[in-house]
Amino acid sequence: MAEIRAIEIPKWGLTMEEGMLGSWHVAEGTSFTKGQALCTIESSKIANELEAPFDGFLRRQLAQPGDTYPVGALIAVSAEPAIPDAEVDAFIAARLGLPKQTADAPAPVAVAAAPAPAAPPPTMRPAAAPPAPAAPQPGELVVPQALAGASADDVRATPRAAAFAKLHAIDLGKVSGSGPAGRVSISDIEKAITAAGGQLAAKPEFARQQVRLRSQRDDADVAATPVARRLAAARGINLHDCRATGSHGRVCRADVEEAIRKLDAGQPAPAVQAAVAEVAQVNEATAQPLTPMRRTIAQRLQSSYQTSPHFRVNTEIQMDAALELRAQINATVPGVKISVNDLVVKAVGLALTRIPEVNVQFDEASKTVLQFADADVSVAVSLPEGLITPVVRAVNKRSLGQISAEISDLVTRAKAKTLTAEQFQGGTFTVSNLGMYGVTSFDAIINPPQAAILAVSAGVRRLVVDDEDQVDVHTIMEVSLASDHRVIDGALAARFVAELRSILESPAQMLV
Amino acid sequence: MTRTSVSSDAFDVVVIGAGPGGYVAAIRAAQYGLRTAIVERGELGGVCLNWGCIPTKALLHGADTAHAIADAGRYGFDVPAEVGFDMQQLVKFSRSVVSRLVSGVSALLTGNGVEVIRGSAVLSGKGELTVTADGQPIRELQADHIIVATGARPRVLPGITPDGDRIWTSTDALSPKKLPESLVIIGSGAIGIEFASLYGALGTEVTVLEALDRVLPAEDAAVSAAVVRQLRSRGIRCEAGVTVGTVTADSTGVSTTFTVAGGASETIRSEHLLVAAGVVPNTEGLGLAELGVGFERGFIAIDEWCRTGVVGLYAIGDVAGGPCLAHKASHEALICVDHIAGAPGVRQLDRWFVPRCTYSRPQIASIGRTEQQARALGRPIEVGVFDLAANGKALAQGEGIGFVKTIFDAESGELLGAHMVGPEVTELIEGFSIAHGLEATAESLAEIIFPHPSVSEAMHESVLAALGRAIHSMPTTAPTPSQTRTAQLV
Repeated sequence: MAEIRAIEIPKWGLTMEEGMLGSWHVAEGTSFTKGQALCTIESSKIANELEAPFDGFLRRQLAQPGDTYPVGALIAVSAEPAIPDAEVDAFIAARLGLPKQTADAPAPVAVAAAPAPAAPPPTMRPAAAPPAPAAPQPGELVVPQALAGASADDVRATPRAAAFAKLHAIDLGKVSGSGPAGRVSISDIEKAITAAGGQLAAKPEFARQQVRLRSQRDDADVAATPVARRLAAARGINLHDCRATGSHGRVCRADVEEAIRKLDAGQPAPAVQAAVAEVAQVNEATAQPLTPMRRTIAQRLQSSYQTSPHFRVNTEIQMDAALELRAQINATVPGVKISVNDLVVKAVGLALTRIPEVNVQFDEASKTVLQFADADVSVAVSLPEGLITPVVRAVNKRSLGQISAEISDLVTRAKAKTLTAEQFQGGTFTVSNLGMYGVTSFDAIINPPQAAILAVSAGVRRLVVDDEDQVDVHTIMEVSLASDHRVIDGALAARFVAELRSILESPAQMLV
Repeated sequence: MTRTSVSSDAFDVVVIGAGPGGYVAAIRAAQYGLRTAIVERGELGGVCLNWGCIPTKALLHGADTAHAIADAGRYGFDVPAEVGFDMQQLVKFSRSVVSRLVSGVSALLTGNGVEVIRGSAVLSGKGELTVTADGQPIRELQADHIIVATGARPRVLPGITPDGDRIWTSTDALSPKKLPESLVIIGSGAIGIEFASLYGALGTEVTVLEALDRVLPAEDAAVSAAVVRQLRSRGIRCEAGVTVGTVTADSTGVSTTFTVAGGASETIRSEHLLVAAGVVPNTEGLGLAELGVGFERGFIAIDEWCRTGVVGLYAIGDVAGGPCLAHKASHEALICVDHIAGAPGVRQLDRWFVPRCTYSRPQIASIGRTEQQARALGRPIEVGVFDLAANGKALAQGEGIGFVKTIFDAESGELLGAHMVGPEVTELIEGFSIAHGLEATAESLAEIIFPHPSVSEAMHESVLAALGRAIHSMPTTAPTPSQTRTAQLV
């Protein structure tokens, strides 16, 4: 397969205009198979893996992780090792519209697994160079010289056409537009390229997800004929997976048979499937790819747990006085409904300003600790699809009522998915509260670049022996502070939880 | 701290009342993915759908048919003098329209994942309410946000107690057992005038009694005058400045004693009496005052985002103040929920620009200020009037009666008010709503092409008249001192 092929930024969805290269999963100088994940690409909406559209050999990585490229930009080249470097360079030059490498110039030494030769970012403007006319590869865009050049500013063109022309150094003044007022569209450019003897790029093909997912929802309510229901149960088909074509919208026998055919087609080995079917109890599993949100959680928390040395300091806090204060406020102020979590967040804000060494972020790259003046407290909110931590800013400067109203607003926004980036980014400390689930003790993983997180459990009525050996019943709430030992030592963590306890046990200080 | 279990009765949003405010709020909340329930003690759709806007429009369609039959001779039809009419059949049609729409609301709510809970709600604390059915508590709900959308009911006047038989509320007037011979209506707002027009067209002898100094007191004075002229020409008696004395009902009818300002006392006998003197909010039994909710003239006091001042408690629609109109309630529902959800760019309600429509014959539609209210602003204004007697389409459909009045701020060109009387003006007023919403000036409206022939051309001519350049009217010799430029053909 002596062929040079392009790997480009794909277009995922109508609104995607550019993508950021997350990381390469296939190293230069290694082969890959169709469907293998080549790299991670993030659009403004999603982060996803770019699957190889064909079998190949990754000859060049042109895109740098962290850089952003327009849709269709060349990010890598696939070519068998047998193809000389000069040809690969010519291919890249043709794609990027760079001057063709002269034959006698020394070819850049491409060492496998070495960093890519400084690839020009695709936004770089070529110096009005003629594209290499020689040996255009099939499926590659070849811009005829007649169209080459830079466009004047006043040429009317659709945004896509303008971006395309800029990328491929096409002078739009040389393309006749068919839109209103002579506006040039992509199809006008394509026509002009073909008319002037150029060649259009082949449309990239992307492998569709092959595995069909099976529904796990209860299908008792799905309208179905008795035969269809029995057949579906016998064959392990969920009626939700059947298209209902029967009378009155019912799933009929043919629909179940169609579902069996389709679902089985997605199974790798029918023989195995048949064998499994003979087992009386089949434990059906469905493949759920991680959502972007889960991906982020997974990546961040894994990295946090692996890189920062966690240690925990736990304490029990007597909440009787705080609960009494809360009851008093709630009974007398109509505009406020203070929750236990509101009290904890306010107390944390106060403790953070009193012990500012805990109110920090750790910049791993520069080995710097950033200590903040205000306590911006992230509050963990659980959603059906994952976890998000909106930030309550400057907790130390705001009243309990303001904090309560703000948390309530942030939680609703989190559920309605209307949080803005500023509302969940940053934060100097996190509070995670599972008290409402009746959890009596747990610990949490630090939310980097923060250096500590407080896990708050439920208050429970317990017998407590005091200093005079008197036994009394108190509401006890356990908290666990997880700290990053690179930044926070044990004694500091202990001082922090002691301060927090003293604030919550003498809560009036939160009111001034 | 008590351990709270995470039960299925914890919601993000609970709405009390499933009228045009409540059900819209619930659907909007569910669209955001918020866990939402709606509590309704009566029928889904509220008064609007069941006992208001919709059934009256169905009955008025019958009245239009009666008018068409009565008028048919003008167009060459030979209609017998006595045309049979069955009131029960018309009521049946009206109810069938209602039941179709009610089932639509139910499907929309469940289709959006809103839990519909049947019963009466009482707020038991901040973010908490108890639902009772048949006097028994059936559910305890918790919600971060509770929206009160309990609406309003017809006002009862002292000494005139509706009995469902002789003395009617609007609800009774929607399903009479038979067409009454005669009807006295107390109140001449939109509801009173619609029923006057409806029963008048069907052949009932109608008398309208208004306490304030003119019929349709909320409308522009020119609107009142034009409509009264029309109603009187159809044999409907309209009296303003009326003081109602005693009302006595017996088995055969009602005797109403009243005085018109400066006149002698008079007693009229009618088969029924309809009280249409506005509405009062349904605020009782909800536990509102106990939580610290404030009130303004009986309505729940709210801020621009429909918040009551009690944490997590909101009020929308009639219960939160006028104008008591379904579309105002629906719009407040969107404002309230969008604000709760933190949607960007939510705009607060401009109460002046809630469109007001009366589906009488002739129809009435208006937005913004009356001419009198606009003058009270103390700013220079420009007023244009165009009469439908010069509108080809209105004449061609035999209804060249009515006018379009527009009022602009002379300085900014902003539309301050628009008032329309005539055929299908309730469908046309939205043109002025859009113009105001997009901040059109008189000049920019003048540039718009209106189709010919259409009644909407009168909207254009009215704007041109305000600019002093109406085409289809005789020129006025000189601008009047008040800068009113009328283009009325007299």
